[in-house]
Amino acid sequence: MVTKVLNWINYRLPIINTFERHLSKHPVPKKVNFWYLFGALASIVLILQIVTGIWLMMPYSNTEEGAFASIEYIMRDVDYGWIIRYMHTTGASMFFAIVYLHMFRGLLYGSYKKPKELVWIFGCTIYLVMMAEGFLGYVLPYGQMSYWGAQVIISLFGAIPYIGESLEIWVRGDYYISGITISRFFALHVVALPLILIALVFLHLVALHEVGAGNPEGVDIEEYIDDDGVPLDSVPFFPYKVLSAMPAIGVFGLVFCVIMFFFPEGGGYFLELANFEEANPLVTPEHIAPVWYYSPFYTMLRAVPDPLGGLIVMAAAVAILFVVPWLDRSNVASIRYKGILSKIAIVLFTVSFVTLGYLGTVTVTETGKIMSVICTLMYFAFFLLMPIYTSIEKTYEVPDRL
Amino acid sequence: MIKSLIIISFLSFSLVPNVNSAEGGPCKDYGDCDQFKPDLNNMASLQRGVGTFMKYCYSCHSLKYSRWGRVANDLQIPEDIFFEYLVPDQNAGPFDLMVAPIHELEIDNAPPDLTLVARKRTSSWVYTYLRAFYDDSSTTYGSNNLVYPGVNMPNILAPIQGNQKLGCKEVPVLAKNGGEKRDEFGNTITEEKCGYLKHQDGSGLLNVEEFDEFIYDLTNFLTYVGEPSRAERERMGVYAIIFFIIFTFLSALLYREYQKDYH
Repeated sequence: MVTKVLNWINYRLPIINTFERHLSKHPVPKKVNFWYLFGALASIVLILQIVTGIWLMMPYSNTEEGAFASIEYIMRDVDYGWIIRYMHTTGASMFFAIVYLHMFRGLLYGSYKKPKELVWIFGCTIYLVMMAEGFLGYVLPYGQMSYWGAQVIISLFGAIPYIGESLEIWVRGDYYISGITISRFFALHVVALPLILIALVFLHLVALHEVGAGNPEGVDIEEYIDDDGVPLDSVPFFPYKVLSAMPAIGVFGLVFCVIMFFFPEGGGYFLELANFEEANPLVTPEHIAPVWYYSPFYTMLRAVPDPLGGLIVMAAAVAILFVVPWLDRSNVASIRYKGILSKIAIVLFTVSFVTLGYLGTVTVTETGKIMSVICTLMYFAFFLLMPIYTSIEKTYEVPDRL
Repeated sequence: MIKSLIIISFLSFSLVPNVNSAEGGPCKDYGDCDQFKPDLNNMASLQRGVGTFMKYCYSCHSLKYSRWGRVANDLQIPEDIFFEYLVPDQNAGPFDLMVAPIHELEIDNAPPDLTLVARKRTSSWVYTYLRAFYDDSSTTYGSNNLVYPGVNMPNILAPIQGNQKLGCKEVPVLAKNGGEKRDEFGNTITEEKCGYLKHQDGSGLLNVEEFDEFIYDLTNFLTYVGEPSRAERERMGVYAIIFFIIFTFLSALLYREYQKDYH
């Protein structure tokens, strides 16, 4: 009976073929390491954000007068509203943490090398949309940090010559941040950007399944296939890959719960303390700092004294990620078989990125200022010098099999 | 023009001393805030805290995001007793918000709402602030505060705490490495420093320890009201963590079993 129904549907809609192609029989490299788990975790957090977001939307009020009070209403009067909200706020930070690790994996093992350029580009676009999504969401509780953070970010548009001022008013929908800004940010945060995000994730996965997942060795598993055309060094996605992701999901759930139930404010990094006060256009908070996941780019903005220059540097820092597939001239993908120059470069890059992140959360000192300039230069050097150091260094031979 | 100013002011926050830096910490002239450890399962403390709040704070400060019924229920105070003895407004019901009469007048510069004060400023700040008032004849109310210099609030708890003045005391001189400096006989070298709180014994209803406890209960209540689900959150968290430990363990065993197929 079930088979009959399935066949009836499959004749009209290829559910069985799709299921087999993308899940049950989809071949994945049999030997990968923990770096390859963050993609699965990211998709779980995305679903979590969408589900909790829908529930938060029900009691939330997208008005100037009601926004802040409605958050407290969720925290106090809605049954288990606090758990839904903390899942969403913790999820936002965790989403970025996971995506940063996922992107770093890409840099480590050359997950952008031919033919995976489009997978990488869709990924970078997802990251860009996430940054916008995170910013818009941060404004919605309409606390002091929401207001002043929005004030600063929107005025960045004003640094663009000629069109800056009009652009700023267009983004805000008003001459200053008001209820109009909140309701349009709300619409973008809950409808427009999530739709784009889901579409991009779909494309990211379709492109990935077309070219096949990578592995830490940088071996092309398609070279050795059995009679059915299945790579010898692969296992089917279900159940093997699903099972290997399960313990990772468990550990992630553990970390998530420790934060959500015991440190939901994350020491002021996940929920900034100044945001527990309703937005007040007349009082500037003593210390404005972005949420941790923007702070490396915020430091770059601060490293340049001129607002327009800072904006360009910050935009370039994200934009440069898109062209990485064409900057890496190495004949191997994985860092394991790259030369010493690439290894030094990625270490320096990691140090500079983490330092930039740290500097963005503290107030600037003279040393900090110099450090931020040095680290910004190091960040860009990693990418801009990549064509040189990847082509002159001596690489090691990649094995045939995994 | 305004945009550039905002950006420049944003970029130059570096010039303003950091709220968390050594000299200008959150407790300002007081130095480091006294650490406060809430005890949200201590009903007696929370009940004393709400009593103190209603008696001394509520005439000027609201808890406008909180509702009467929730507080009575969470603090295990029977509603009839709660409304008879603690709520001054005869018409207030359990679902009404705890808005002080002064805030219904919508006057400018009204005293701030305190629902989220312990979350915004931390409980340790509140605990330290409430104990750091001292006599200062140069201000309107004749009192000032080390944690919040120039605060526009009278020392409402003065009759209970008694007189507190600023005084000087001998403190050890610190060497560059942070250790105490000593003379050649091994005695600690001291210097006179001023700006310390000095309490006049017997001048208030309570002694220093009793007053600390009195403020502890009040701060404990303000911590509770900042996030009423916190005790439940921490209780539930333990179960969630146990669940994930078991889940991880079992799924790791299952993974190991299936891994044998291809190794």
